[in-house]
Amino acid sequence: MTDDCVVYVIDDDSSVRAALEDLLASVGIRVLAFETTTAFLTHGMVDIPGCLVLDVRMPGQSGIDFHRSMTGLGINLPVIFITGHGDISMGVEAIKHGAIEFLTKPFNDQTLLDAIQNGISMDQDRRRTKAQSMALQALWSSLSAGEQEVARLVVRGLLNKQIAAELNVSEITVKIRRAQVMRKMDAQTLPDLVRLTEKLALSSLF
Amino acid sequence: MAMQLRSGLRLVLLAGIMATLFIVDTVTNYEVAAAVFYAIVILTAAPFLMHRTLILLAALCIALTALSFALTPKGNLTIGLANMSVSIIAIIMTTWLILKMDAARQEAQDAQARLMRVARIKSLEGLTTSIAHEINQPLAAIVTSGNACSHWLAHDPPNLDRARQALERIVHDAGRASTIVARVRSLSRGEAPHKTVFILNDAVQEIIGVSRGEIERHGITLELELPPGLPPVHADRVQIQQVIGNLLLNAIEAILSSTNPVRTIHMASDMRGSMLRLCVRDSGVGIPVGIRNHLFETFWTTKEDGMGIGLSISRTLVEANGGHISAEPVEPWGALFCFTVPAAQQEQHP
Repeated sequence: MTDDCVVYVIDDDSSVRAALEDLLASVGIRVLAFETTTAFLTHGMVDIPGCLVLDVRMPGQSGIDFHRSMTGLGINLPVIFITGHGDISMGVEAIKHGAIEFLTKPFNDQTLLDAIQNGISMDQDRRRTKAQSMALQALWSSLSAGEQEVARLVVRGLLNKQIAAELNVSEITVKIRRAQVMRKMDAQTLPDLVRLTEKLALSSLF
Repeated sequence: MAMQLRSGLRLVLLAGIMATLFIVDTVTNYEVAAAVFYAIVILTAAPFLMHRTLILLAALCIALTALSFALTPKGNLTIGLANMSVSIIAIIMTTWLILKMDAARQEAQDAQARLMRVARIKSLEGLTTSIAHEINQPLAAIVTSGNACSHWLAHDPPNLDRARQALERIVHDAGRASTIVARVRSLSRGEAPHKTVFILNDAVQEIIGVSRGEIERHGITLELELPPGLPPVHADRVQIQQVIGNLLLNAIEAILSSTNPVRTIHMASDMRGSMLRLCVRDSGVGIPVGIRNHLFETFWTTKEDGMGIGLSISRTLVEANGGHISAEPVEPWGALFCFTVPAAQQEQHP
């Protein structure tokens, strides 16, 4: 891995922090380490794929509490918990809330590195999906209101004649708008258009 | 000894009262309901009688009431019958109420004992959790730095500078871990003994006084062999009493988990060279083979709800006071625990 990803570490223990920074540096991963969740928030995030290694027990806000507030703060980083006293119920609870791994100190470095690898690729996927859906949304918004109406009916399988009757316009108009939709949405065939609109339906714009 | 004498005296007194009541009830007319006072006999006897004995006593009182009725020569027979019924009902009601109250009290005591155990275990749990957390921090740092170090060495060419830095961190964190261990040890070792000169037998008697209720409640006979005139000892009185209390409690628990009908605890003190020795022998479950070597180890227990720290603490305390503690099984049943405490030197005498 190179500079195109970053691992954030939040742990109040300076020894653990230094060791983790060094371990990740030794395998070429960029690290940003913080003593508290507040320090992390103040610093902010770099806009590249990453994941968060979070200590459970810290003075001030605990890792578990911070994890729960992350969605509200708009932070979507995959989280790996590390803790000095592993307790099964705590681990289950953390995983249920979406953490990808719960490691008890002292942990195996390979397990941690694998989890980090996993977390970063999850974040990459999430970012890719998000970018795609944003691009698609941009395409959709470039359609005029009339074109959007035609598109909705086309993917429902209606014929041009039926669409014209439904929208109370001429069949020629429908044909023109339909061609525009296909061009603007960059769809070659009708199944292409259906697939694209399904993705839009996920973001509830369609 | 004194205890047996006192309970014997009580029995004689009760028998006397019962005999007097019987005579009065028999010689007086039917109209005098003297038998009602048997209820007082039962009330008086209840605190030091086992449940079954108490029921037997009540039955005896009823029988005596009936017998008096049969022997009474004069008076109105109907009133006599009514009076006898009232007396018998009074005796039965008194006995029943006492048994009910005892059961309720017993339940309350059990609940409290359970609660105390749980609280003790909970506080220990909290302690071990924070110790584990404290120790695991530097350990995690050491393991992680070690891994980082081997990664740096695996680079081509090896990054010796970073590897050395990782090693320095490891050494530093190991030092930190050992500081934590030392701190925990000093915590569990507690206060240094505050030694004074005192009479061992008196200390034993005080503990027995505290535990008497528990011993009598379980129908255990306590035999004491505490000869007067033993020299005083030089030790921490409170710590030695903690050990005595712990051994006594263990003896009671050993008897309770045994089916042996003999329920005896024997406590004896004697002089052994420059040391005084106290032994506690019980007729309980004894020490199973293979367990003797673990007896004094921390967190080692055969008791379902035990924590395995009692005997370990006892040994720590005895040794801190310059003594020695030992355990051995007794034939045909039970166990014997002995510990020694140094006798006070002449100049230490008050």
